[in-house]
Amino acid sequence: MDDTLSDAPSLVTDPPVIGAPQAAPRPMLTMTGVVKSFGANQVLRGVSLSVAAGEVVVVIGPSGSGKTTLLRCVNLLEDYQQGTVTVDGAPIGYRIDPRSGQRQRMSERDIAASRETIGIVFQSYNLFPHMTVLQNIVAAPVRVKGVPRAKAEARARELLALVGLSDKAGEYPVRLSGGQQQRVAIARALAMDPKLMMFDEVTSALDPELVGEVLEVIRALAEDGMTMLVVTHEMQFAREVGTRVLFMDEGRVLEDASPKEFFHAPQHTRAKEFLRRLHAVTE
Amino acid sequence: MLADLHFLARVIPALLSGAVITAELSVLTFLICLVWGLLVALARTNHGPLGWIAGAYIQTVRNTPLLIQLYIIYFGFAMGGFPLSGFMSGLLALCIQNGGYVAEIYRGGLQSVSQRQYEAGRALGMRRWTLYTTVIMPQVIARVIPPMTNQAISIIKDTSQVAAIAVMEMMKVAEVWVESSANTYDVFAGAAIIYLVLTSIAGFIGKVTERRLAFAQ
Amino acid sequence: MKMLAPLLHSYWYLFRGAGMTLLMAGAAVLPATALGVVLALVHVFGRPMARAVLQVYLFVVRGIPLLVLLTFVYYLLPLTGIDLPPFWGVVLVMSLYYAAFMSEVFRAGIESLPQAQWDAARSLGMTRHLMLRIVIFPQALRLAAPPFVSQCVSLVKATSLVSIVGLWELTMASREVVERTLAPFQIFIGAALIYFCICYTLALYGRYLERRSLVGH
Repeated sequence: MDDTLSDAPSLVTDPPVIGAPQAAPRPMLTMTGVVKSFGANQVLRGVSLSVAAGEVVVVIGPSGSGKTTLLRCVNLLEDYQQGTVTVDGAPIGYRIDPRSGQRQRMSERDIAASRETIGIVFQSYNLFPHMTVLQNIVAAPVRVKGVPRAKAEARARELLALVGLSDKAGEYPVRLSGGQQQRVAIARALAMDPKLMMFDEVTSALDPELVGEVLEVIRALAEDGMTMLVVTHEMQFAREVGTRVLFMDEGRVLEDASPKEFFHAPQHTRAKEFLRRLHAVTE
Repeated sequence: MLADLHFLARVIPALLSGAVITAELSVLTFLICLVWGLLVALARTNHGPLGWIAGAYIQTVRNTPLLIQLYIIYFGFAMGGFPLSGFMSGLLALCIQNGGYVAEIYRGGLQSVSQRQYEAGRALGMRRWTLYTTVIMPQVIARVIPPMTNQAISIIKDTSQVAAIAVMEMMKVAEVWVESSANTYDVFAGAAIIYLVLTSIAGFIGKVTERRLAFAQ
Repeated sequence: MKMLAPLLHSYWYLFRGAGMTLLMAGAAVLPATALGVVLALVHVFGRPMARAVLQVYLFVVRGIPLLVLLTFVYYLLPLTGIDLPPFWGVVLVMSLYYAAFMSEVFRAGIESLPQAQWDAARSLGMTRHLMLRIVIFPQALRLAAPPFVSQCVSLVKATSLVSIVGLWELTMASREVVERTLAPFQIFIGAALIYFCICYTLALYGRYLERRSLVGH
């Protein structure tokens, strides 16, 4: 019985519960044994996962479980001490030297280049305040990928239409609501044509009435077949849009199941506790 | 250039005696300005003519060089038939100039204390005097220490300008020795080192004070 | 009215002095700013060795009065045989001196940008060079503009120090007039007024920039 306040779940009594493995073609994202510490604090304790193309993987768990750090490690916004990450078959951040089997950090230029295949949207939108909405969206395609400006602007306007903000192209971010800024942030990330989109609690900082418009955009993206890794507290969204749920606690993935399985019949003790506490609040 | 020990033996005591004057000027100015600057800052909060005068005073001293202020005071008083010694003129000029800067530091400190602190105190039923002495001023003092430390360092450096009116603080001493000997390098190196020591001491005192008060908060 | 006579006779001479002051300040501002930006980058991105050297440089510059450095160079330069006109000598010293303060201003601007901006730029695949150019610098410079203008005001006032080593600008000009007319009070106050006009204008511009930078964010 794991009723004690031990630091980590015992591997014997509480093994992680993984759902049936997907019959996957080459996975879009794989993480293998990622370990990340901030000083003495181990935030990720050996995380391995695999996301197939078109999957919408929702990552949930209590605060401090390492969800945000997980996302930030994928595109190397945070450096990690062990493990490797590959996106669409290509390693990002570290590659394994075939001869020595050791991992080697890739050059800064290679890392920057591989970040182009991954889009990330942050909790605090992080738009560039000194640029207009349109400039925010075209800055990277034009300067990083070398897309001709006219073409980039045309695509930017398409994306703005997609997120429902066509009339805001010339505005500065400070004049937009939180929900609008977040949608611009999504358009900005999409402008780079990423193969994987990551969302880090993108609605947590928004006023409740603005959350819906952002979730709508994410849902539409999912229906279009974008591969997504979503960290969120919005359980309803996870149930409806997610194809898989990962439950994290204390730096480990403890449960990996379909939304239906997870929300109706969670297997892991911690997952059960978490959902119980959640229901206690919402009901 | 090798140090000429004979020369050094004579120049160092002279520099040190100049350093004493430098230190005296600096400490006196700083202490006087702590009080004078506070008065000016408080006057500034006034909405009537007093506030305007205080504001004009601050702007005037901030936008004119210390050297000019020094000359005005030194020669002005002499011309007015009431000649001040170099030291007193220097002290007066330094206080007038730095009083303005210190007032601005106080103002910044006062402004940086959140409006909510005032509200919380008033909600607890505090009247103005209690509010200011027990809630606001302790926080202001803590926040004001880093810029005050910088100002103290600035004062120490400004004392060198008093050399222009022949006060034998360290800069003047150095100048006199350089003119009467060929050992430019050693004299100035010595003076520079002593200045660094003085400013470092000021900085150190500032850091220590900051740390002590951080606990008190 | 008779009191003002000496000033009225000489104001044109003083204006020419002011012109030289502006020339000197202007000549020093450009290299100081350029070097300041470079040093700020070293401070933020440089290797530990470079940063250590920079810390020493900053410590020395901030702990020694400018006057000491000016006098030092004034006496030292002829001895080294470098044939540099005094004007450029003092401009060089002032540039190196103020570069230190400018670098701290720019560094504060860069470091006050939220980490989020760096994250966003990096996530979009930008290399460091591009990131600095289109995301970091435009914002950092806007934040740094008001304290930068403040340093410029300080630089203008500092030009008065070169009069002590015998170079001609507004303060020296006013000293010459005083010696001629024996009316120190009026003349020095006149000079103070001219300095005030220059510096206050700059200060107002700085406040304008400060208001503008707040609106955009």
